[in-house]
Amino acid sequence: MSSHGLKKALIAAAIATAMAPCAPAHVAPSQAAQSSATKAHAAGSVPDLSGVWMGHSTTFTFDPNNRKFEKPDETPMTPEAAAAFKALRARNAVDHYATDPTLSCAPPGYPRLLLYHFPFEILQLPDRVVMIFEFQHFVREIFTDGRKHPPDLDPTYMGNAIGHWDGDTLVVDTIGFNDKTWLDQVGHPHSDALHLTERIRRLDAKTLEDNISIDDPKTFTHPWTGRQIYDLKPTWTIAEYICEDTDELQRVPDKSKE
Amino acid sequence: MNTKLTWSVLAAVLAFGGPALAHHGVAEYDMTKTTTLKGTVTAFEWANPHAMVYLDVKTESGIEKWQAETNSPNLLARAGWTRNSLKPGDQITVIGHTSKKGTKLMRMVKIVFADGRVLNPGG
Repeated sequence: MSSHGLKKALIAAAIATAMAPCAPAHVAPSQAAQSSATKAHAAGSVPDLSGVWMGHSTTFTFDPNNRKFEKPDETPMTPEAAAAFKALRARNAVDHYATDPTLSCAPPGYPRLLLYHFPFEILQLPDRVVMIFEFQHFVREIFTDGRKHPPDLDPTYMGNAIGHWDGDTLVVDTIGFNDKTWLDQVGHPHSDALHLTERIRRLDAKTLEDNISIDDPKTFTHPWTGRQIYDLKPTWTIAEYICEDTDELQRVPDKSKE
Repeated sequence: MNTKLTWSVLAAVLAFGGPALAHHGVAEYDMTKTTTLKGTVTAFEWANPHAMVYLDVKTESGIEKWQAETNSPNLLARAGWTRNSLKPGDQITVIGHTSKKGTKLMRMVKIVFADGRVLNPGG
């Protein structure tokens, strides 16, 4: 189904949902939140972030003053993190295939997926916002039905994301990361204590802004914020990208054959 | 992607002492100046993450074997390219940024055919 067809189907579903009777006030909080989220979505009173989005400018790291990492690093790393980063950069300069896990098809994880020169698509449903990333085809779901993070999260590459609407902005809270990914394209580290707070909104019909606050007390001495801008690509659809079938991976020596 | 074709192309390039085949970020290239080369396409790899054009460039001292790296086919397709946009035998002019290491590798800016048609890899 084309994205336009999908939008029409979603609007039809939302209108049907809006015709349903209101939930009584005494139901359990998550049910009440789900009904009001559904109603708000149906009434069109939540903003629409949907579309296929492409990064506005080449960005290798989230510091908005050093996007292409051409200036001295001002990321507020702890001494240990800074030392680990320095060692990684040295190894990467010698052999980036052996150093960057994504070059042997390990997942980039979030938030690194925000920095690729590939689009992502945002689809909005009454109880969640879905991001489909073209690079390695990752899917991220941001639940907007009022649920809390599950207790005892197993660490994941994408983290666990919940969000709520604040005026024109989707505020997203993400925790539950593993420590297997690079924070960005140059290899800044992060730990499993990473806690992202994003404020995502449309600046205009064709522009999306993601203010991303990076809080990781095991890695950074204080939270710091990046700002990513994305342009709407109305004629694009998400294409396939299978890392295991890339020309690059075929050039990596197969160690199992040594 | 035809794996047999890929390996035969790679073998051919390696046999002629082509530059190291590796993923190159923009930092690999001298982005401050562009180089213009005229040559004949010997192969065109339409593969992620970077499509690659191989060309023979005639110089006074003989034939130089060059590679021009460009965007993912996912992005090229959105700029109007197809897997058949370049074929072995095509006479082209390639404009790009050469590798800082002095190898015969460049990051493509655009391609101009003999008849004036332009192939632009887009953003």
